[in-house]
Amino acid sequence: MRRFSRREFLGGAVVVGATGVLAACAPTQAPTQPGAQAKPLGVDTIKIGAMGALSGAHADYGRQINMGLELAKEEINANGGILGSMVETRMLDEELKPDVGVRNTRQLVQDWGAHFLVGVDSSGVAMAIGPILPELDRVFIFTHAATHRLTEELVYDKKIKHIFRISVPVYQDAIVAAYVFRDKLPQARRFATIGADYEYGRAVWALFREYMKRFRPEAEFVAEAWAPFLTTDFSSHIAAVMAANPDVIVSTPWAGEAVTLLRQAVQLGVFDKIQAWWQAMGGSVDVLEGIKGEVQANAFKGKLWATARYIHNYPDTPENRAFVEKFQKRWARFPNYSAETTYSAVYAIKAAVEKARSLDTSKVIAALEGLSLKTPAGDRYIRPEDHQAVYSVPAGRVVMDPKYPIPIVGADLVILKPEDYYRKPPFEPIKF
Amino acid sequence: MTVENLIFQGLVGLSLAMYLWLVSAGLTLAFGVLGVINFAHGSLYMVGAYLAYTLYGRLGLDFGVAVILSVLTVGLLGAVMERLLFRPMYRLDTAFQLILTFGLVLIFSDLVKLIWGGLFVIPPVPAIFQGAVPVLGRSFPVYNIFVIVAGIVVAAVMGLVLERTWWGKTVRAAAADREMAASLGLNIYRVFVLVFAFAAMLAALGGAFSIPVRVVDPGTGTALIVQAFIITVIGGLGNLRGAFVGSLLVGVLSAYGTLLFPVFELFIIYLLMAAVLLIKPEGLFGR
Repeated sequence: MRRFSRREFLGGAVVVGATGVLAACAPTQAPTQPGAQAKPLGVDTIKIGAMGALSGAHADYGRQINMGLELAKEEINANGGILGSMVETRMLDEELKPDVGVRNTRQLVQDWGAHFLVGVDSSGVAMAIGPILPELDRVFIFTHAATHRLTEELVYDKKIKHIFRISVPVYQDAIVAAYVFRDKLPQARRFATIGADYEYGRAVWALFREYMKRFRPEAEFVAEAWAPFLTTDFSSHIAAVMAANPDVIVSTPWAGEAVTLLRQAVQLGVFDKIQAWWQAMGGSVDVLEGIKGEVQANAFKGKLWATARYIHNYPDTPENRAFVEKFQKRWARFPNYSAETTYSAVYAIKAAVEKARSLDTSKVIAALEGLSLKTPAGDRYIRPEDHQAVYSVPAGRVVMDPKYPIPIVGADLVILKPEDYYRKPPFEPIKF
Repeated sequence: MTVENLIFQGLVGLSLAMYLWLVSAGLTLAFGVLGVINFAHGSLYMVGAYLAYTLYGRLGLDFGVAVILSVLTVGLLGAVMERLLFRPMYRLDTAFQLILTFGLVLIFSDLVKLIWGGLFVIPPVPAIFQGAVPVLGRSFPVYNIFVIVAGIVVAAVMGLVLERTWWGKTVRAAAADREMAASLGLNIYRVFVLVFAFAAMLAALGGAFSIPVRVVDPGTGTALIVQAFIITVIGGLGNLRGAFVGSLLVGVLSAYGTLLFPVFELFIIYLLMAAVLLIKPEGLFGR
């Protein structure tokens, strides 16, 4: 039987009492107890609960979240923990279902006693979890879910201060795409989408149209096809948008679904007809591994453009080189962005707790706001207004490179300053 | 919208329809002969797909061998399911069957998660099926043609066997009146176990064919069984010809839905089902 600390007990009691309003201001100071000198936080372990997609076509994202989480934990614990307290982790499958995400969050906090939460792949899941965080009084650092509404609406408009996001949102998927086609494909007029049929895909397409139209008023948006999770076959979606003769296809299904989609697009001869295919999260390691054969055979004819929320071959800094090396040594894989973002989220928690010298949620929130952090993806700055981490990730064409065994986002890199493409508060709502 | 685009989209829909046909054929056959409504039938497609994935994608066996082995394995699984789980159910109320098969859906989904949960790599299309042929100025994949032909061959062979052979007569006799067939000396339990195993093999065949080009997921079984049910309702429960026509209708119409009404493509299928239920509640080919 494990011992409950007073903090956990209080937290539990408050939640069990269902006094949601009070929870936000529940005093959760570290008690003085023997050994408090060695452990100023008053707990033996700091528990970080995590969530990601762990089954099916999207499973590699969750696995990579777990790899990043475990690597950070092992490093931190080997170096004395966070102010003397060791890090403990637990990972659950979000199944890409909002109700499962909410259930997991409650379970991690109320049953397991998580101090902090990280992860979440699906935007739909993140939007469902966000509103219950004040009641649970926990900070959740989202490491992949990308809808702009999570930070723009829930944090900036609705002031849910418990939400943070370490990964770049759909600004990367949509606004960077508009810059890429403005600069690299001046001839492209006709744009179409094969979209993930939920919050994320809809947000990308809406945002992309908004910016593309701004950059190129004569742009036309000629076709859209929407594929929900569990779509097993994309050939009818591909054939449908190809019927409109697009110059560019903006595609947002991800992970294993992206691999299937790209393979079917090759078979349907799409790359003979279009100028470019934008695979928003095509820079993800599982996708790059999955399409290696096609890239080697030049099946995409150099027309496959992609980005990610971090790519392992950028930036060329000591921090990133060290991270990739450690990651490969530990897991024999290249780190996907969900690994890097989760790894960096754990270090952000460490930095904030050390700054606050407390596990008190409001103090940690204050410490995270405005935090600057050196991470593998580069310098990150957490904007206090919307709790969005600001950093820059390139986009480019997917190619083989003799230095790597798998394809990389490595040709015609478009590197933008974050201030050029991150939306800034106050946010103008985007109509879906 | 040009005529060429409409025809091409229909062709794509035809290949979608063949996977649906392989699943709904077994579902409707098991219902017609054994009288069971097997919610777990879609899960057999899923298990067939995962097995083929391991044999072909991970162990590197020849694609044909992988397909045959996974189909046989799922056939055996089907026989075991019939003998151990379904046989005691025949005397009981249908509700018990529904509970049993629904439980099996959950078990298969979790088993697949346990065994294959963390893996996901889509193996390449087998060399002989790579490439595409020009159709109406666009490219149509050879693999899709293979799937369409295979689906039609399965339909033709099943039709012939049922209509023309002694085996077919036996199965039809067991379906029409099991007591009479049994009193004429037919071992109807043997017919049941073989029919159920065969139905399982058809689903597994669809799953195994899907592996080089389609996603498989622990939720695939559930997603498919819903569509297969719609198809059997449209075509008439227990009617093979109805399942074939129903699959074609659902596959082709959903492809047109994606093209013409991208926002509510699923709606069209439900609309079709509702229309059939209103006008001919026993299904297009039902009696």
